[in-house]
Amino acid sequence: MHKSDLSYQLERFGLVIVWLAFIALFGAMRPDTFLTWSNFSTIFGSEAVLVIVTLGLVIPLTAGDFDLSIAQILTLVSMTVAILDARMDLPLALALPIGLAIGALVGLINGAITLYFRVHSLIVTLGVGTFLHGITLWIGNSQTISGVSPMLMEWVIIQRVLGVPIAFYYAIGLAVAIWYMLSYTAFGQQLLFTGRGREVGRLTGVAVDRVRLTAFVLSGTLGAFAGILYTGTTGSANPSSGTFLLLPAFAAAFLGATCIKPGRFNPWGSVIAVYFLVTGINGLSVLGFRTFVQDLFYGGALVLAVMISQVVSGRKDRGL
Amino acid sequence: MTTPTAPRLQLRGLTKTFGGARALDRADLTLMPGEVHGLLGSNGSGKSTLIKILSGFHAPDAGTLQIDGRDVPLPMPLGRSESHGLAFVHQNLGLLAEATVLENLIAGDHERLNPWWINWSAEAARARVLFEEHHLELAPQQTVADLSPVQRAQLAIVRAADRVQEHRSHGTPGTLVLDEPTPFLPQEDVRELFALIRRLTARGVSIIFVSHDIDEVREVTDRSTVLRDGKVIGTFETGTTSRAELVEAIVGRAVTADRRVGALRPAAPVAKVTGLSGAILKDVALSVRPGEILGLTGLIGAGHDEVPMLIAGARPASTGQLTLNGQAHDLARMTPAQSIAAGIALIPADRQTAGIAPDLSLTENATLPLLRDSLAINHRRNRDTTADLMRRFSVKATSPDQPASELSGGNQQKLVLGKWLQLGPRLVLLDEPTQGIDVGARQEIYDHLLAVCAAGGAVICATSEFEQLEIIAHRVLVFDRGRIKAELEGADVTKASIAKACYETAEEHA
Repeated sequence: MHKSDLSYQLERFGLVIVWLAFIALFGAMRPDTFLTWSNFSTIFGSEAVLVIVTLGLVIPLTAGDFDLSIAQILTLVSMTVAILDARMDLPLALALPIGLAIGALVGLINGAITLYFRVHSLIVTLGVGTFLHGITLWIGNSQTISGVSPMLMEWVIIQRVLGVPIAFYYAIGLAVAIWYMLSYTAFGQQLLFTGRGREVGRLTGVAVDRVRLTAFVLSGTLGAFAGILYTGTTGSANPSSGTFLLLPAFAAAFLGATCIKPGRFNPWGSVIAVYFLVTGINGLSVLGFRTFVQDLFYGGALVLAVMISQVVSGRKDRGL
Repeated sequence: MTTPTAPRLQLRGLTKTFGGARALDRADLTLMPGEVHGLLGSNGSGKSTLIKILSGFHAPDAGTLQIDGRDVPLPMPLGRSESHGLAFVHQNLGLLAEATVLENLIAGDHERLNPWWINWSAEAARARVLFEEHHLELAPQQTVADLSPVQRAQLAIVRAADRVQEHRSHGTPGTLVLDEPTPFLPQEDVRELFALIRRLTARGVSIIFVSHDIDEVREVTDRSTVLRDGKVIGTFETGTTSRAELVEAIVGRAVTADRRVGALRPAAPVAKVTGLSGAILKDVALSVRPGEILGLTGLIGAGHDEVPMLIAGARPASTGQLTLNGQAHDLARMTPAQSIAAGIALIPADRQTAGIAPDLSLTENATLPLLRDSLAINHRRNRDTTADLMRRFSVKATSPDQPASELSGGNQQKLVLGKWLQLGPRLVLLDEPTQGIDVGARQEIYDHLLAVCAAGGAVICATSEFEQLEIIAHRVLVFDRGRIKAELEGADVTKASIAKACYETAEEHA
């Protein structure tokens, strides 16, 4: 290792240590409410949606692009699936693939506009996301759609393994898949070069435009998958569900990039960051703090995360 | 035109070393009021170091600066040179193309502008007066992108002159440093620029004119100072000095470097390029034989450095055909992936953005071209491959996991070379392969290029370092404004004859 082993390992697992310290602190203060298995299994299960959105962001972020539309893809797909299932009685076997296809299609549109017109993805996806929110309000008549078939809830939140809802395992399975893709496949390396050395990659034969397009399609599809899980978690779709997930997902992705593989967006760092943030918020609300701690925590974490990564990399100007 | 007055600017004993190498060695320069003073020298002669000391970019190790008889302490704080009556126009002109002429004219003029309120109509009126004084047909509201190249150069020069007018510096017309302002201008436009320069000097402005082009220097300057290897070779009255004398002062008495290539056995070319146009290249044809190192060179703006990029498909050519090992390729549609598949390797000049990904590890950098569509990367094997490559190419680093940014320039370049040569390319294209690299690493890079040739490969190397060509090139093509103007082969490939060919081609259209 180029850095002394101890300090490097400390950097890698710093967030995990702080997380455990949080658990110990809140646990000592409220052992009966905070430090219970049911509290934790609820956290693990209900935040699986946020984990998946964060994992979805990691892919375009690695390639140097932003996908601000991912949360609105979630909302749109959640709403679409609820309408198809509850209002139009379409079987889930048909509604779910349609949902995923919508996510992939939006990703394709994001990528096509970004690459063909050479516009920054930040702007493209900001606009597309807002546009999608408009569609969601339109098709759902700005209302919450409930009455989704229990089968979906069964396979998202009701079934438990070791007491934890099955949605958690979907998120972990995805983290494994993305970790493998980023670490062990040529495509993962191509994503990395597209983000960190685009011209080097291009001159070495990497089809950087195709890589970026694929990254958008993958993040769109994962956003759609998160939307399906959202509907399954609550048994309904509400038109503002995703709006409150975008910033936490970015905070977790950037915070995750300061640990496990410091300096790189990485799936395990993201998973840890999500649960670190959620544990902090849960603990503070158990202590009696009110809803404002969410914004303090998520907003603060995002800014803190980028500050830390800049200090670590020696404060060079960077695009991200 | 020497007048009995005191000099406008005087540099004495300017010395600067970079890591043991003397970039400037006790250089003196005296500039008189109203004088155009040429600054000549080949690449690495110390011209740009001298200019960068004046602008405050470098701090000299020793030396003094006097302006209008007053001592000016060195190093010059960055951004303070204008208050000493010194303004710079660099080759890129420093204009924002999307902004208007007026916006560019007043950009950064903090001294004069009210920071809270810009009176645009008064500024526009002032600009019109300024343009009229200098006989320029520029309108304040024009967008710079719509200007012709010469108008842009004029705008940049007038802006610089405006910043150092009498009332701003201590009562004397200032000094302009024009750093290679002409290489991309057509001949008629150069004349127009020179007319502007003369009008400025008629008002007493002094000008340091940095150029590669001896004929332009002879046409517009009163005196010239020639630098070579950091030393001032002499200051000449340009009017009474012949072109040959200047060339000799720039190049020096031919000290031949050790040539490391001999005669080639005749063979059919391995690669042949015809009708190559694009960027500034016009209908270039060339061929290279197995085992040959072909050098491409020229002065700034000659276009020799475009050839490797276009052949490798890094940028599309507008037209051009490549025949490599009997296979034809259309260079207008070449992509990097196709050129790699055809057995071409490109080592680009811009190491920091096109050669290596500085944030990524040595292993990641070195093994990217080996991955293809792998679905199960073997990290241990990649690491071993990289460690082996580091040994063979003597890349000095602590570990293959280190980020490439931690390596010195020479070691980075050896890594890039190793990354490409491990693929066993049949045609290796290089652009300024030894830029910013120490002498030891240079020799190692030459060794590897010679090894490519020994294995029957061919090398095309674009460089502005004549000595490098003398050492390793079998044959050299000299470019001028997008065309090949001379070919040197065998014993003719010497630093002196290459320099002569470069400077002579410039004369043809003077």
